[in-house]
Amino acid sequence: VSTDLLDAPAPSHRDAEDLERRKLIQESARSTFKRRRISALIIRIVFGLCVVLVLVPLVALVAYVTKRGVGALSVAFFTHAPTPAGIPGGGISNAIVGSLIINGLALVIAIPLGLLVALLLIERTGPIPTAIRFGADVLTGIPSILIGLFAYAVIVAHTGHFSAWSASVALAVLMLPIMIRGDEEAMRTVPTELWEAGLALGAPQSRVVRSVVVRGSVPGLVTANLLALARAVGETAPLLFTAIGSQIFSLSLNQPMNAIPITIYQDGSTAYKSLQLDAWGAAFVLMVGVLILSIIGRIFAARLTRKTR
Amino acid sequence: VLLWGAGLVFVAVLAAIIEGIVSQSTQAWGRFGLGFIWSTAWDQVSNHYGAGTFIIGTVTVTVIAMIIAVPVGLACASFLTEMCPRRIATPLGIGIDLIAAVPSIVIGLWGLYVMQPLFVRDVEPFLKTVPVVELLFKGAPLGAGLILAGFVLSIMIVPTMVALSRTALAGVSTLDREAAMALGATPWQVIRKVVVPGANSGVLAAATLALGRAVGETIAVTFLIGNATSIGHPFSLLNPGATLGSIIVLTFGESQQGSLYRSALLALAVILLAMTLLVNLGGRWLVRKNRNFRLP
Repeated sequence: VSTDLLDAPAPSHRDAEDLERRKLIQESARSTFKRRRISALIIRIVFGLCVVLVLVPLVALVAYVTKRGVGALSVAFFTHAPTPAGIPGGGISNAIVGSLIINGLALVIAIPLGLLVALLLIERTGPIPTAIRFGADVLTGIPSILIGLFAYAVIVAHTGHFSAWSASVALAVLMLPIMIRGDEEAMRTVPTELWEAGLALGAPQSRVVRSVVVRGSVPGLVTANLLALARAVGETAPLLFTAIGSQIFSLSLNQPMNAIPITIYQDGSTAYKSLQLDAWGAAFVLMVGVLILSIIGRIFAARLTRKTR
Repeated sequence: VLLWGAGLVFVAVLAAIIEGIVSQSTQAWGRFGLGFIWSTAWDQVSNHYGAGTFIIGTVTVTVIAMIIAVPVGLACASFLTEMCPRRIATPLGIGIDLIAAVPSIVIGLWGLYVMQPLFVRDVEPFLKTVPVVELLFKGAPLGAGLILAGFVLSIMIVPTMVALSRTALAGVSTLDREAAMALGATPWQVIRKVVVPGANSGVLAAATLALGRAVGETIAVTFLIGNATSIGHPFSLLNPGATLGSIIVLTFGESQQGSLYRSALLALAVILLAMTLLVNLGGRWLVRKNRNFRLP
């Protein structure tokens, strides 16, 4: 390599031009520097205020519900059925048990169905899986009140009475699209090589799916299903058309049943202080329950990302 | 076979939802025709119904919520991704996500007992004194009304907006940001000209989902909107109103199976269904159209 190029002196007129330009750039940058610094400061303050604006009501909400709710808690609150307004010693035991039963049954319906549909989306290609995926996305956006009306039209109107199991069906439909998309995403994280390794051992497709794909994506599946449950537990509108609520303690799936959101809805809008207190207690129990579900779901999700990393 | 069976069940459920709601509304559509959509009548005595009042209520409340939630949510997301050390941004983001999971009935209860008195005592009298703005706030500050419902609704959708647009903004390449900064761009210019356009489709998707949630939200709004079956004259954001969802929840129980009234309520549900589908499909279309958006 010749060193001529390196040794050759640069043309001097270019030098002068360069220096001139540099000075110009420096000057213009310096002249706007203060303005840009101030602009940066203002935008920081304004956007920071927006964060505060978002956080204040949210934190105030949680704090207020906690304050009012804790005051309503007692042993009787968890163990007794509601009493008429003004008579002390009432609780929301029937609503707590009702919420557990209704959501439990909804999970029993939705988990297997969601898993199978998700498998279909993974294992098959073509227009039908695409359409189902699209349908799941659309169903996620449908307001819960409409799903309640659907359960009313399909079940309550035909059987002629309100029932706990119609509420379970409504909540299952509500959970289904969240589960399908969540399950699908979780199972897609299983590497194709593992899938093929299973097949190479001579295992039938169904065995591979069971032992490799589903087992390998358990944390993701748990997250998806827990988040779906967390959403369904707090839903009120579908329950008002199906389980409708009840003042007595009932375990029958074929009878109207109470649930925590219904208690909040009905007691919260009465003028009786004792019932309002029950509503706050119920709201607190519901909020804590949903937060615990979301946090557990997130822990599983975090474990999953750490593993794949 | 099992898999296809499951798929079939799911498709059947989807079809049944639409069928179950539409079929019961035919009586109302047959009686009032398309005029049902803009008629503001709602009279059980003369058995004359229209959706106008509730569509106006839904749209007004949703617009209020979006006007507050979209800019604030976007600014909040920008702050968390652009100007905030990760040590602080991550816990803040998780906190906002968790609060997004608080059920709407709880937020409604809080709005009823905390925000409503606050609005009656301070916020609404104050809004009435602001020039120009006060034109929208005629009448008595009652508390329960369009503005209160819209405001609390904005609190409900802001976490959605923050969480989703934060993901979208974080997806913009750091190199693009640094290039703009090297040119001496201020943070505002970086956000406005590089980050937000770069995350265009993601921000749109966030706004669409927030919009869909706002349109369909029922329970909290029922607690707060005042539940009047007419818009009130003169039009004011302080007036009580009703949304498609709130009127259905409140009066469904008192309607007779097979009556025209019941059918009119289900016709409202059909309109609500159409609105949410429109928002969702329109949003998807916009997102797809903008996916290949490139900086000029």
